[in-house]
Amino acid sequence: MAVSPEFKQDLLGTIPNLRAFAVSLTQNADKADDLVQETLVKAWDKHESFQMGTNLKAWLFTILRNEFYSQMRKRGREVQDSDGIMTERLAVHPSQHGLLDLKDFRGALEQLPEDQREAIILIGASGFSYEEAAEICGCAVGTIKSRVSRARNRLQEILKISGEADYGPDSISAQVMGSSAA
Amino acid sequence: MKKPNPDPEKADRRRNGSAELLGPNSEIGRKLKQYYDGLVSEEIPDRFAQLLRQLEQTEPAEKKG
Repeated sequence: MAVSPEFKQDLLGTIPNLRAFAVSLTQNADKADDLVQETLVKAWDKHESFQMGTNLKAWLFTILRNEFYSQMRKRGREVQDSDGIMTERLAVHPSQHGLLDLKDFRGALEQLPEDQREAIILIGASGFSYEEAAEICGCAVGTIKSRVSRARNRLQEILKISGEADYGPDSISAQVMGSSAA
Repeated sequence: MKKPNPDPEKADRRRNGSAELLGPNSEIGRKLKQYYDGLVSEEIPDRFAQLLRQLEQTEPAEKKG
C-alpha cells in the first residue's frame, strides 16, 4: 500500500517536534537532523504498521528514540546509568538577578543522564502523558515518574533552586491527593 | 498507639504522580518549556521536505518488483 498524502502531511507536521526531541537527546543540531532523517525513512518504510487514528507523534518518537539508542550502542558508547553520575562538579552559579538563564538551563539539562533527560522532556515539554512516555521508552509508568522526579531534583540541585515543591500549589495538591489516597 | 507519621518518601512518591511537578508554578517546568518551544519554532531545514519527495518518487518503482 502506498503512503497516503495525509500520512505524508502528518509526517511533515511532526518534524518540528521530532527535531526538538532529537536535539534534546543528542544535544547536537547536526546529529539531531541526521536522527530525524533516519526516523522519517524508517517511518516511511514501516508506514503500514502504523494504525491510523492512533498517536502518530508517539509512534514517531518511539522510532526516533530507538534509533538514537541503537546508534549509541553501535558507536560503542555506554548508555549512561542515572546512578553513576556525580552532581557536585556540576553546580552552576545562578545569575545575579536570580532568574534562570536559558543557557544555564541548557547546560544543566546536558548534564542529566539520557534516561532522565528524555523522561523530563517527554513529560514536561513534549506534552505526553506518563502512560504515553512509558510506552515510548518501553518501561513502566512508575519508572517514568521516578526518572522525571529525579531529573527535576537534579536540575534544581545543579541550578541551585531550592525545593519548589515545599510551598505553593504543589504541596497543597500533594496534600489533597495524599489525604484522599491514604 | 501507632500514630502513622507522615512518611517523607511516600509524600515524595505522591508528588511524583502529580502533573504539577512541572506545572506553571515550577521554574524548572517553565524553563523546560521555554527551551523546548525554542527548538520547536526553529526553521525546518529543507532537506526533510526533499527527503519525503524522494521517498514518494521511489515508491512506485519498488512496488513493481
